[in-house]
Amino acid sequence: MISATSASAPNNLRPASEVMKLERLGSVFASRLSFVRSLMRKMITERWQVTNTVFDLDAKGHGLAVYRITTPGHCYHCVIFSRDLAPEQRSDRVIAEAWDVTFALVEGEVESFLLEQMAANVPLQEAGRQLPRVIVLSRANKSLRNFSQFAASLAAGQQPDPAWLTAVGYLYRTTAVYGNGKFGMADFARLERNPDFNRPFAAQMLAVYVLRQFSIEQLNHLAKAHAPEQAVPLHPELQRYLGVGNSTGLGMAPFLINHPQLIQQWVYGRERALASARGEPATEQTHTKLRALMARALKHLQQTRTEDEDQTLRNQETIGSVIEVINWLDRTPAHHALYEELISWALTHCSLEAQELINTMLIELYPELLDGLEDELGCRESMDLQPDMKARHLKDLIDRKFSWALTYREDCPEDNYWFWYRSAEKEEPRLGIRGTESGAEKETALAVGPRISRCHAKLERFLERSPKAMVVEFLMAHPEQKECVRRIQTMGDTPYGEIRANLWHRNMKPMHLLRTKLSFFGASRFDPKSDRWVRITLFQGAPLPSELSNPELPPEQLDDWGFPLEPMIASGENDQVLRGDAQ
Amino acid sequence: MKVSFNELQGLSRKAFSGIGFDEGDANDAADVVAWMEAHGLDGITALQKGLDFLLNEDKSQPPELIYQDADLCVMDAHNKTILGHASLAIELGYAKCRARGLSVTKIRHCHNRMLIVGYLSRIARRNMSVTAFWRNAHEPLTEILVSFKSGDAEPEICMYSLPSTPDDTEPNNGITLVMVNHVNLLPDIKPDAPLNNLLRQDRDAMASWHERSLVEGIEVDTTLWERLKTLATKMLVEASEDSRQGAGAGTNDND
Repeated sequence: MISATSASAPNNLRPASEVMKLERLGSVFASRLSFVRSLMRKMITERWQVTNTVFDLDAKGHGLAVYRITTPGHCYHCVIFSRDLAPEQRSDRVIAEAWDVTFALVEGEVESFLLEQMAANVPLQEAGRQLPRVIVLSRANKSLRNFSQFAASLAAGQQPDPAWLTAVGYLYRTTAVYGNGKFGMADFARLERNPDFNRPFAAQMLAVYVLRQFSIEQLNHLAKAHAPEQAVPLHPELQRYLGVGNSTGLGMAPFLINHPQLIQQWVYGRERALASARGEPATEQTHTKLRALMARALKHLQQTRTEDEDQTLRNQETIGSVIEVINWLDRTPAHHALYEELISWALTHCSLEAQELINTMLIELYPELLDGLEDELGCRESMDLQPDMKARHLKDLIDRKFSWALTYREDCPEDNYWFWYRSAEKEEPRLGIRGTESGAEKETALAVGPRISRCHAKLERFLERSPKAMVVEFLMAHPEQKECVRRIQTMGDTPYGEIRANLWHRNMKPMHLLRTKLSFFGASRFDPKSDRWVRITLFQGAPLPSELSNPELPPEQLDDWGFPLEPMIASGENDQVLRGDAQ
Repeated sequence: MKVSFNELQGLSRKAFSGIGFDEGDANDAADVVAWMEAHGLDGITALQKGLDFLLNEDKSQPPELIYQDADLCVMDAHNKTILGHASLAIELGYAKCRARGLSVTKIRHCHNRMLIVGYLSRIARRNMSVTAFWRNAHEPLTEILVSFKSGDAEPEICMYSLPSTPDDTEPNNGITLVMVNHVNLLPDIKPDAPLNNLLRQDRDAMASWHERSLVEGIEVDTTLWERLKTLATKMLVEASEDSRQGAGAGTNDND
């Protein structure tokens, strides 16, 4: 679909000046609209089947596994190669050259020629070539501690301590999930006509979901191989509480900046959902549900562990705010404008994260308002020039819609502190200090704010000479401004436009960029490992494949898996389980 | 080797940046090459032929405006490739057409003229009918006519040779564009038979070629691919201890 325009946007949305600030975007939580939730809902509604068809692993868990995914109209296969990896080779960075598992999602059947081709290329990742029927390529590394502890427990006939999964919520951590034509794979243009994967990143998320199932079955296999008589399989509650990790760094930043139409479409979708929800009159029932959701989120946050000092402080601040929100709800009865009152109270009493958590929960309250929205998160990306626009109108547009960019100061060292570039090492995106580190002459054009500011300055000078000129005439005098101008013209006409930050500024936090994208993916448990490197968890709490096809489980129950809690398993018993309860 | 559309577009973009194109021109040129190839119009061959020109030409200046009035403009590309700033000449024609209903744009002295078709597809997408015409060589003299209907993703293309060369023909390495805003200029190209018809590409053929490129990938000469990769590396920064720190992560992730 085409990007939304400002003219077609409803008038009850939060303003871009509030929503598009990087610090706020970097405080957003996953919601019902996030891609993993949206994919799972589709899988639940359409009763997708995920079944293992090949499980040829040795006693160390190395070998080949294949999973078949059946949807109403198609079938796919996820082919997983597991190998031994020396500890010194275990790096999550893009510069790594070997991984514990490598895997790929394929359209249709896996014939022997295809399997042979994949066996030769999938383990090579970036260095291999894939056939166009391959739609996702990825790899993952083990969390060694969890893996060995879990396998030892199960081999001893005991369920592992759920707290281990609370500390690190996965057995495998993906380090890149490639799609959209990379390394010879299918282009997204081909997938977008396929109803199974026409939402952003749906195919990538499915591959990650299948890896989660493999990690469970590989673990059970290892325990059984170690102690065939004594081993027990992982308890279903723990299976559900197990997610897949993801380790990510600055590689996310270029995507956010290079796909502004897509990002604004994601934000626009979320904001429309929020606007619809907050306009609803609260009832006793929704008031109770909102309180329960906040209580669950509180416990989830209290159970979230990170060694990062900043994130720990943020979590503590949010926990404090959420307790206050719950108290506020307890003393404020349901009334027609409850949500508006809560939102405006939170603006002055709660942390940014807590404010955004309230928004996430309001969206959660009204699933029926989301109908259709999740199919509008994609857009056909194309930036076209409007050459006949008057140059003075372009300047007006910048003044009106991009005033945030005009605060950039050319001669201020703070405003020009960082530069972004790609390293010759596997084109890994990196951040350098201007004037201190080499490579600034090859920097990638990610800092949209300063570019708009420079364009504005040139436009002002041009208009002094040619006040009646068209944009195309400005560009003939300044051809290097073409990309910036068409970006301004394109994004200036959308409801949310650009992320509002100077990505060169000394105080710019790359972590906010990473979290912006990861929250739309549906990530939880943000665990920064540095100011530009983070580990997160996906699919923790999500239904298992066996539950998707169980007609006795109602879809709304299966879909309610956000903010998962540590399950309580009775000591010494493998079959008696109590679900964590926040009440 | 087979590559995807996205790969061809992405690597071309990086290579054009490495050659020295501004970001906007690098994006446009990459889109054009990939679009042409995916529609069966030999974008890769055209790039291969033009690459040496590209490496050596001055990329800093757009075509020079020789003459303009309300609905006509004449530009001189000074023997440069159409992939560079020539898009601005097309955009000038587009702007004049929007104002006047019809415009004529002449771009003189340009190379790789066939590649203009890729950019014109954008003009058609923006609800403008556009026809391009040029002559290719003298022996035999061939004419090429490309016609996009407003809103269509693919054009009709007709290339034919003339039975005889007119006496007064001058060397011609220009291109003429006619844009109209409200009607279809040439609804259906049907050259008078026989006209030594060399090529006729219709919309259906190009659409099915596009479909095939999505399903089967795009064949690229390995030598050209490696050359593009080499050009693309010009925008990469050599790794150093400092730069490794700039990724913000350790090198070992055992936990």
